[in-house]
Amino acid sequence: MEERRSAVQSQKELGDQRSEVAGVADAAVPRPKERRAPRISETPPPPAPPPLLQDYAPIIGKSQLDELYFLSTSVRGKNIKMVNSTAVGGGVAEMLNRLVPLLDELEVHTRWEVITGGNDFFEVTKSFHNALHGAEYTLTQAAKDVFLQHNELNRQRMTFDEDVVVIHDPQPAGLIASKKDHNARWTWRCHIDLSNPNPDVWDFLKPFVEQYDATIFSSPSFARRLPVPQYLFYPCIDPLSEKNKELEQAYIQGVCDNFGIDCSRPVVTQISRFDRLKDPLGVVQAYKMAKRYVDFQLVLAGGGAADDPEGNAVLQEVKEVVGDDPDVIILNLPPWSALEINAIQRASTLVVQKSLREGFGLTVTEALWKGKPTIASAVGGIPTQIIDRLTGVLVHSVEGCAYQIRYLLTHPEFAQQLGRNGREHVKENFLMTTNVRRWLLLFRILLGVN
Amino acid sequence: MSTSSDIVTRTAKSPFEFKSAANLLRIEREQSRTLGELLRDLHTCPDSSIFQHTFRTLQEHHFIKEGFSNDFAHWAYTEVGAVGLGERLVSLDVREFTNIADLRARLENIVSDFLSQNPRSRDQEAVNPFYFCSADTVVLPTEIAAHSVQEFIDGLRKVSVHSIHYHFIEARLRRELETNDFSIWLRRDLGMGGVATRLNQIDIYTSTAEGVRKQILRILEGPLN
Repeated sequence: MEERRSAVQSQKELGDQRSEVAGVADAAVPRPKERRAPRISETPPPPAPPPLLQDYAPIIGKSQLDELYFLSTSVRGKNIKMVNSTAVGGGVAEMLNRLVPLLDELEVHTRWEVITGGNDFFEVTKSFHNALHGAEYTLTQAAKDVFLQHNELNRQRMTFDEDVVVIHDPQPAGLIASKKDHNARWTWRCHIDLSNPNPDVWDFLKPFVEQYDATIFSSPSFARRLPVPQYLFYPCIDPLSEKNKELEQAYIQGVCDNFGIDCSRPVVTQISRFDRLKDPLGVVQAYKMAKRYVDFQLVLAGGGAADDPEGNAVLQEVKEVVGDDPDVIILNLPPWSALEINAIQRASTLVVQKSLREGFGLTVTEALWKGKPTIASAVGGIPTQIIDRLTGVLVHSVEGCAYQIRYLLTHPEFAQQLGRNGREHVKENFLMTTNVRRWLLLFRILLGVN
Repeated sequence: MSTSSDIVTRTAKSPFEFKSAANLLRIEREQSRTLGELLRDLHTCPDSSIFQHTFRTLQEHHFIKEGFSNDFAHWAYTEVGAVGLGERLVSLDVREFTNIADLRARLENIVSDFLSQNPRSRDQEAVNPFYFCSADTVVLPTEIAAHSVQEFIDGLRKVSVHSIHYHFIEARLRRELETNDFSIWLRRDLGMGGVATRLNQIDIYTSTAEGVRKQILRILEGPLN
């Protein structure tokens, strides 16, 4: 805790820092030629306690909270098991960390178990994961054997006496072999895009998936044709998480001061890993095109460069292209920078997500939730979130991105309307509480109490 | 002629019980990649899909008042670039329909007419397919009931927008009448026929659900002031 405090100042301290500089922030101060190195935390903070349902009332309203309590009545006391392949890291674990306590609070007893496996198993499942996203892969009998062997070991170790078993993603899909021995209803929750899978891997997994009572996908375009019901659960964000909760203006200002972001001028931000598929170089190109017409700063903030040679190479390329432009701020942040990312998003005038490929695109959801006018590529799950020119703007090129930056920066009323609509869209469809509602509905349907 | 004090003190013959609805989306088998396929799938898809992409989508997008009408129109505009078809679909008002069969027939007619006039558009590939969905719905009670117009106003302020959608928009299909639950109750149980008619004239396509709530409240509070 002490380390965290020394590395990243508390909200109050950063607020105090802001008040110290407030007098000069308003004056026309020339920008520093060299930005001082920001203080970036080197250690993760302790996890925050999960919120209670009541904590969401100010966000979604009492009437919608009451609806959750009502929906839970007919499945109260039922036992649910969620199974995935990792307890920490990744979006699924992050989501289960919030979902499980909320279901428990509604007296829908939910147990979360994680499968075990050796390096060989996780190497195979990582290859499967990439292959299901369309990557080239030669499926061998040895890989199949490793997958089956570890699923069988886990199956023998685990019990399945619950009313509903939910298996997340392909890694534990083989546990379905236990279905015949129990009365549980089984659901496969697929978090990945199966629109263009490697046919050999999908043909291997499909017979497992077809044995489930229901499947869940994150977008209709991610689904496959299957002989079992397919439900649509959009990925969601938690409005009370560090990445999304409301922040004091003083804290936001403090973070910006620390990172050298001038809040008195427009800020356009892309938050994402330094990954070619997120097209940070395209964002810099769009910045250069738009900058000829409007004054603004570009913030590229993300991580993934420290432990990923490819990410580091992309980061270096971006730095080279940017050169010594003081209005482009590149931040390579550690994974525990949720509060800082939250603050940067809130300080932004516009948010950009110019990905070449994307999953659902939760960084877009986060930006929309903060009411930020958002420009994003029409790829993956982004068009589900951005209804063009109603909840944000969709683009298909660097030029389109540059033009929309110019347009929105010079039409603030239209931009604000997009931001307002975007936030409402998230509130209606992509919040954790909406997902609790979906799970309760699904349990009712699976257990025949609908 | 009723006075405002008459209306305030009037007790309903039976209370208005506010309800709401929760929906779980299901992905259906139909996927249209061209307008020709859309016409085919409009004919064969389940009733619940027609309902989802017209009535229900209004609830999902209740916060938009700048031109969102139904999913078919949006797809024709944005994914196919068929502006003429999009225009015709966007003008479709679900309140004209009290059953899905008529709504389906109208949709098919609009697409079919467009394709007759623009035969080359039939096989034009969309950027992204139209994915048919449907919803499993659970009707939810609330603890809010009204015995008078004042209690109705108080209740209307408290309920979720889902409840307003359930009573004000979806009621037409449930009742198979060109009206809504609020108007029926106000007319039948409180004798407020004029108010009931005015509520039924609110344009749901140029207002958000919260805007509809405000308009209803304004109409109801008029006779009380």
